[in-house]
Amino acid sequence: MRHAVVAGLLLVIPGAAVAQGNTADQLEQAARYHAALDVERELVLLRRIISPNSPFVVTHEQRVLAYKYLGAALVVLGQRDSGIVYFQAALERDPFVDLEPQKFTPAELAAFSEARRLTFGLGIRAIAFDTIDPRTERLGFTVLTTHAADLRVELRSAGAPAGVVLYQGITDGPRELRWDGLLADGHLAATGRYELLLSGVSELTHRPDSVRLYFSIQQDYAPLEDTVTALRPEDLLPEQHPATMARAELFKSMGIAAAAFLIPRTVANGELHGGGRTFADGIAGTASVVGIAGFIFRQRHREIPGNIAANVERRAQRAAANAAIRDRNQARLAQTRLIVAPAAGVGP
Amino acid sequence: MGRTLASALAILVAVPSLATGQVSVQGGVLVGRGEHRVVDADTLVAASGTLFGGALAVTIGERFQIHGEALGGQLTTAAAPNLEDHSVAEAQILGGMKVRPWLIVESGLSFRSFANSLARQHWTTWRIGAEARVPLGFESVAALLRGYWMPVVGVSGLSKPDVALAVGVGLDWRGRRLGISAQYTFERYDFAPSNGAQRLEELSTIRVRVGVWWPPTGRAKHSA
Repeated sequence: MRHAVVAGLLLVIPGAAVAQGNTADQLEQAARYHAALDVERELVLLRRIISPNSPFVVTHEQRVLAYKYLGAALVVLGQRDSGIVYFQAALERDPFVDLEPQKFTPAELAAFSEARRLTFGLGIRAIAFDTIDPRTERLGFTVLTTHAADLRVELRSAGAPAGVVLYQGITDGPRELRWDGLLADGHLAATGRYELLLSGVSELTHRPDSVRLYFSIQQDYAPLEDTVTALRPEDLLPEQHPATMARAELFKSMGIAAAAFLIPRTVANGELHGGGRTFADGIAGTASVVGIAGFIFRQRHREIPGNIAANVERRAQRAAANAAIRDRNQARLAQTRLIVAPAAGVGP
Repeated sequence: MGRTLASALAILVAVPSLATGQVSVQGGVLVGRGEHRVVDADTLVAASGTLFGGALAVTIGERFQIHGEALGGQLTTAAAPNLEDHSVAEAQILGGMKVRPWLIVESGLSFRSFANSLARQHWTTWRIGAEARVPLGFESVAALLRGYWMPVVGVSGLSKPDVALAVGVGLDWRGRRLGISAQYTFERYDFAPSNGAQRLEELSTIRVRVGVWWPPTGRAKHSA
């Protein structure tokens, strides 16, 4: 069973590759026939390619090329109108399709111009992966109208109602647009998905058309530093004494006064009838006065100046550190580069 | 030779400390009243007078300090001149180590002399004790509590006292450069009874000290 599958794959894979290669070979052969003005053989090959019954895989680009050569071949055969129809078919599928003047005759070029005049289409050339420095570089877009049209090109964040208008006015043919990476608010485009929207009205047929190109942008910059975390309550010193402190200070002072009062009355020898009681009483009185004054002072001033100053310094240090970090981050962000990549999704 | 070497060593130790700002010095003047009471042979003699002196304290780092003090004055027993009137002169040097932010263990020597026109008595004491600083309501005001035991007391003409202790209570205000303190001190000496009589002696003082710090600082320093 396994051998059968392997054998089947060996048979199918080269077949697919040959089919793919055959279309390309046939197109090359058709181009050679066209150059040699052997349009009969050319037509046979091209009709085989565009036929729904073609056994080969035909890509979108190959089909557009086939229509282009068919149109040109029919013009050579004198079937100008039919040729124009095929040219239109090519233009409808790819507005960027063009005839190279060195390969095609003036009659073919004139017919192709007529096809462009009759067909209104807008096109945006697909963008490639790219990285730009918005300070010195620009992102290029190539847009195209098949003939003169009133065109508006707008770039916006996908889903946003409005964006930055890159171009608005009458244009005919291809136009190169350059974008500096800034949005309408003047800020650098943030990381995300964007769309380039072309909308236009033909100046000849007054037919409207629109087309979108989606792409993604990623901001590329050096890693940013985290700012210093906010100071937690435990990181700061208490800025006020507890409400009970005034009473405690009073008790301490009274304790000192009591000690001064009691020393000459307890430690001193009673037989000496002294101990410097007057001196001790003086200290006791002073301690009492200091205690009462301290109690009143503490009732009115619970703040701790040293701790307040220390906290102010800590906050200032944090603010300074954060300011420096912000400056460094700002400098890194100023060097942001934009990584541009095509994205899936194509609008009508 | 030995003294020169010791001086050089002291300079080598002191200069780097000064350079790094780890040493602070406080000098101050003292003025106070002293009361000296003696009971001997059941006779009480009480003399008091004004005392003057000076103090010098050196704080080394956050833990160590040395302070010296000299004090003297005339103590009189009555308005009229009396034989019991005498002068007192005292010098003291103490070393201390901070064992808690509020507690300093201290030890040192005191030399005291009582003299009148007839005689002179010398006292030499070695004391050991501690000083507690209790911050009060104002940021720069602290209360001081001191207590010392004097295991070695030598008094000329007398035997060693059985009880020898000293206590002190005071208040200390400290500015950035200037400090003022008021302190009550009390010393008690109970000598052994002899021939049926016992000699009891005490010296109490109240002292006000005005001192200046160098270098000026807001840091808490231990006072002398």
